[in-house]
Amino acid sequence: MELIENQSDGVIIVEPRGRIDSVGSKTFGDRLTELIRSGSHHMLIDLQQILYISSAGFRCLLIARKLVDEANGKLVLCGMSSEVKRLFEIGAFTDLFTICTNRDEGVSKAK
Amino acid sequence: MDRVEVRIVNRLEDISRVADMVERFGAEHSIPGPAVDDLNVALDEALSNIVSYAYRPTEQGEIVVRLDYRTSEVQIEIEDAGPPFDPLQAPGPDLDKPLHERPIGGLGIHFIKSLMDEVAYIRLDGKNRLRLTKRLPAA
Repeated sequence: MELIENQSDGVIIVEPRGRIDSVGSKTFGDRLTELIRSGSHHMLIDLQQILYISSAGFRCLLIARKLVDEANGKLVLCGMSSEVKRLFEIGAFTDLFTICTNRDEGVSKAK
Repeated sequence: MDRVEVRIVNRLEDISRVADMVERFGAEHSIPGPAVDDLNVALDEALSNIVSYAYRPTEQGEIVVRLDYRTSEVQIEIEDAGPPFDPLQAPGPDLDKPLHERPIGGLGIHFIKSLMDEVAYIRLDGKNRLRLTKRLPAA
């Protein structure tokens, strides 16, 4: 699990790579919380390079979403493969997040 | 090699060793990527649950994972020596709750049941055994 971070138009773009499982979600969740707490309230998470996400990873996304909401910010997701999208559907998470197809659209929604 | 076995201890980090093994096993048997990922998500849910609850935090416990490849399916058996616990009897998650009320408990077993074709639990010789079966698309 690796995390790559970029800034675009006042939006922080976080790109996890690899498995967001119970091991990888520790790094992932800690970093998301740290970023939001230090003032990054407009966030795009690009899931293009992940292999899969398990319930531990979904827990991180839910926590990040709550923190961003409390700060009146925005959290947007993009880059989901059809397999990753299926995991979101199984967990009934699709309607809980703003999901975009690509980064450009994601950045404009997260602004 | 159609069967492999890996033994890990009750540490979350050890789940990565299992995931690596499943990926190698998938490559050896030309199992499609999405099926390999489904197996790994289901394993992550089952193993993280065992690591968190089957043994006391100070206790070192062993978990055995066996993979068995047949032409049309992969069978996984997960064995631990914790107290009797049938995860299939645990209550499912409430998927209709809005974001801020969403409990995360029960989601793991929901993923396992949704991603696998068969899930069975038995208590045998003082051990919990969870058997997961994933059918493979015809080659």
